Amino acid sequence: MRPRLDLYPGYDVLAKRDGPSWNAKTREVLEKRLAIGPETRRFFNEAEWSTMTALAERIVPQPADRADRVPVAALVDHKLATDTRDGYRNAELPDEREAWRLGLRALDSEARARFGTHFHELGAWAQDELLKLAEKGDLTGAVWEGMPSKLFFHQRILADVVKAYYAHPTAWNEIGWGGPASPRGYVRMDFDRRDPWEAAEAKPGREDEAYQENLQVGR
Amino acid sequence: MRIPGLGNAADNPKHVTPGDDPEHHPRARDGRAPNVMRIGEWVPMRQHRDEEEVDFAIVGTGAGGGTLACRLAEGGLSVVAFDAGPYFRPLEDFASDESHQSKLYWTDERIVDGENPLQMGSNNSGKAVGGSTVHYAMVALRFRPEWFKTRTLMGYGADWPLDWREMWHYYDQVEDDLKISGPVSYPWGPHRRRYHRRAHEINAAAKVLARGAEAMGIDWTPTPLATVSAPHGDAPPCVYRGFCTLGCSTNAKQSVLVSYLPRALKAGAEIRDLAMVGRIETRNGRATGVHYFREGKWRFQRAKNVVVAGYAIETPRLLLNSANQEFPDGLANSSGLVGKNLMVQGNQAVWGVFDQEIRSYKGPPSLAISEHWNYDDKGYGPFAKDFFGGYSYMSQGPLPQLWANTQASAHGLWGEALVSEMQRYNHVAGLKVVSEYMPQERNRVTLADVKDQYGLPVARITYSWCDNDKALNRHALKFMREALSAAGGREVWDQGDDTCHLNGTARMGADPRTSVVDADCRSWDIPNLYVCDGSVFPTVGGVNPSLTIQAVALRTADRILSRRR
Amino acid sequence: MPMPSDRASQSPGRRAASVKRRVAPVRVEAAVHPVVVLAAAAAGAGLLTWFAAGRSKPLGLAAGGRRYSPRGRDVTASAAQRLNHASTMLAASVLFDSGLEHYRGQFFNRAMYTPIVVSSVTLAASLHGAGDTDPGSSRVRHGVQALAGLTGLIGFGFHAYNVGKREGGYSFQNLFYSAPIGAPMALTLAGVLGVVAERVRDADPDEPRLASLPAGRSLAIATAGMLAGTTLEAGLLHFRGAFQNPAMFVPVTLPPLAAALLVRAATKPEGASQSSAKWGMWAVSAMGVGGVAFHAYGVARMMGGWDNWRQNLIDGPPLPAPPSFSGVALGGLAALELIERSRFRF
Repeated sequence: MRPRLDLYPGYDVLAKRDGPSWNAKTREVLEKRLAIGPETRRFFNEAEWSTMTALAERIVPQPADRADRVPVAALVDHKLATDTRDGYRNAELPDEREAWRLGLRALDSEARARFGTHFHELGAWAQDELLKLAEKGDLTGAVWEGMPSKLFFHQRILADVVKAYYAHPTAWNEIGWGGPASPRGYVRMDFDRRDPWEAAEAKPGREDEAYQENLQVGR
Repeated sequence: MRIPGLGNAADNPKHVTPGDDPEHHPRARDGRAPNVMRIGEWVPMRQHRDEEEVDFAIVGTGAGGGTLACRLAEGGLSVVAFDAGPYFRPLEDFASDESHQSKLYWTDERIVDGENPLQMGSNNSGKAVGGSTVHYAMVALRFRPEWFKTRTLMGYGADWPLDWREMWHYYDQVEDDLKISGPVSYPWGPHRRRYHRRAHEINAAAKVLARGAEAMGIDWTPTPLATVSAPHGDAPPCVYRGFCTLGCSTNAKQSVLVSYLPRALKAGAEIRDLAMVGRIETRNGRATGVHYFREGKWRFQRAKNVVVAGYAIETPRLLLNSANQEFPDGLANSSGLVGKNLMVQGNQAVWGVFDQEIRSYKGPPSLAISEHWNYDDKGYGPFAKDFFGGYSYMSQGPLPQLWANTQASAHGLWGEALVSEMQRYNHVAGLKVVSEYMPQERNRVTLADVKDQYGLPVARITYSWCDNDKALNRHALKFMREALSAAGGREVWDQGDDTCHLNGTARMGADPRTSVVDADCRSWDIPNLYVCDGSVFPTVGGVNPSLTIQAVALRTADRILSRRR
Repeated sequence: MPMPSDRASQSPGRRAASVKRRVAPVRVEAAVHPVVVLAAAAAGAGLLTWFAAGRSKPLGLAAGGRRYSPRGRDVTASAAQRLNHASTMLAASVLFDSGLEHYRGQFFNRAMYTPIVVSSVTLAASLHGAGDTDPGSSRVRHGVQALAGLTGLIGFGFHAYNVGKREGGYSFQNLFYSAPIGAPMALTLAGVLGVVAERVRDADPDEPRLASLPAGRSLAIATAGMLAGTTLEAGLLHFRGAFQNPAMFVPVTLPPLAAALLVRAATKPEGASQSSAKWGMWAVSAMGVGGVAFHAYGVARMMGGWDNWRQNLIDGPPLPAPPSFSGVALGGLAALELIERSRFRF
């Protein structure tokens, strides 16, 4: 597995906020999203919240020294608080709000059953082990009330947590995505071409070039 | 000649977001409807009272319903078209944000089961005036002529009661209406007129497809797309922003919302947004009107004819929910086939990493295509065809959330593995099929015990592959894997479980015992009840269905109008 | 809200360290855009050429050195100046067009800097000649124009290769979206007309000849051919634009008509009036200028209009391209002057 790199040093999608790559609606939407702070909690109770925060950190880990962390747990909480749905669910899963409450409770229960502490108090390795069991469908205690852990893992945990992470500009910067693009889209679409408002990728040994170019993005 | 500054797409909507909320308050009322091509402007809209028996009540304003509404209104009939979804103003309402734009999709509850439960919502279901064409990827392809007679000519599926030559004429018309941007000459199928706009420039992801196809010795072509490459009226050319499946904020995309519906309004049609039709009323064997929920209460619109165009889940759901004493099994269901023969199309993909930067997020997702496997019935060597049907495959350009979800769900990555793999986002290219799955009666839409926010039973969608589907999947993945590797892709992996589109649940045919509607989309059981959307397809082919749905709608309009003369 | 400065302050030690490590005396500061540097270099080259052209010109028949005035007395000088006007327009068109398009291509091949510099130099030489009323050629101008002619041909080779090497080979798709195949020829046209200008200056005013052919007639046929070629290039790109605006038909109908008039003029007897062909040339000239306005309208019509100029100037109809028609038409006017054996007032 490759280590995570600083591939787009100096790149910030938000630098383009007042330029032609963003329109008014996009600014409005992103402002609301960025107002969701890491402690903004409206749906989960305290116990669920602890499990959720720990869970999020395992599914989409973030560097400890990151200045602009993605508030993953808060974003998932926001989705559930506003009852934003996907438009379908597997027959074996309850609806998403119920599924999350049940699943978080069950996960915490399993942690206590197997390791004697709450899920959020476990170390990363133990948390990952539990999640892998859930992923395979091997968590089958009565606490799950018949909800298959495999389905909960794949269709709720993975789907909601991963999408929450990549709904945030910090994640966009990390992967070097161009970000919002209206009315200005893209001109250069060929191999190894980028427009001046896109992220410059740091090539090995020439990171500084990329950094300088990325500082120009949004100017 | 238009001077910029008059509020059309050329203006940068720097400061404008509409003051109203289209998702909660209808916009089409008080004698006007939004002019979606001009910021803040309106067009007059003729309105009817509920008690007025209009000529046609159409449920759904998508590829089928919207196109039909336009042609019937232009033919002088009084038309009211209902849509459960909002009346969006793309120039002002659409943000460049994946999460926010989920407002375009059908996010009301549905239950999925079967051996291969489907993904719904953003995958295939729109909820907006303009239907799923507001979020579709604009791929505009014609059926192969033989596909209208698969049972007779090729030994599978069921025949359409339509002649391909007649459909060719209607394809011409749709392509003209939408100003399809396509290649100067198209490699497959019988001779056809030149597309009205030239094909778009292809991006690196599309060139990967091209290189792979050339290495495998098959043809490829820039994809014909329903987004303009040169201005058309108020529509500017595409800016290649890549948010096509999340709503086009420039109006280059020729969705029904910006193409047929403005014409429909001009010809006197009425559109009712945020109007959920819950039930069709019948009396003495004829439809008499529709019950719909709008602005807080249930209402009833009288109509001489009713057309159901809610796409392949909502159409059978409505027909089944409208069961009454006259028709205890649901409307138009004497054959028992309403809701059955649900077909999706395979959407398998292969993905790989490239040394060069691809940045596939630029431009429409499917800029290049090969339809080779739609026209080659035998195959060769390791790619001998051991299944019925065909598939086309296209380049792709997923946005971050979609890509991350793919990496997590289909590639099994999470944790540090996921986050570091996502950093190769700009080096990814893939190939994705649209493949022909077989009609099977066991794949169906039924009513679940769960009720939605309107108090109506929601749809349960049951789906499983048959052996032919699985054989096709294997062939497609194998071929694309090799093509992608030949183009330079490394660490190629399969995305084996994905589907697209919805068809078949109210199929058309020549025999009332084995079909729901006839060739004119008229139900056998109820002479003034029609179905005009993807539900009517007896087979689904290996191409995206929208162009065919719209061609069928144009033909249906002609047939209705000619009967009245 | 995260700002770029936050990122910079995120790991200041690392940033400072990496900057300090690099001691690159010739390194261009990121604050100055590379295009600005290129423009400055091209302008500098042009200026140098201007002075060199003046110093290389031998003293003409007139006494007292070179003179600058609106029009030379001899028809050959007048026609030559007009030919230099033509080269000026063509070189300017190539300068801005190749600048824009090669910038779009990110100068991925070093050779792409060449037409910027060569067209600047050609522009300077042509401007110099356009004001030079004396008969007698300039060696420097002659050399520069020949260089332009050659560069255009080489550019055509590069562009043709670029089109053919892509997936699909010489298809319409690649003719539309790869390097515009005919565009470099505009530089060759500038160069050819510029060389002809120098030859015409040296020619006998009573019986001007080019390579032992009558100058006027041969030049008329040549510029008619140039008009046809330019029409093809404009036609290709307007075909790509699907002729979505009726005005787009003008550059594929008017220039061929005007070219036909030129050919007819070449067959007319000596000294006969050429007014219809002259009108044709002026019409094409006006069309070239009007084309810029139409293209500007086209840019305005794209998403975001002129506010989105960073995209639309490049993706939209190229503003510098239409004046190449004007340039060729001026060459046609020079030919008509020579045929008529009298200077035109305009």
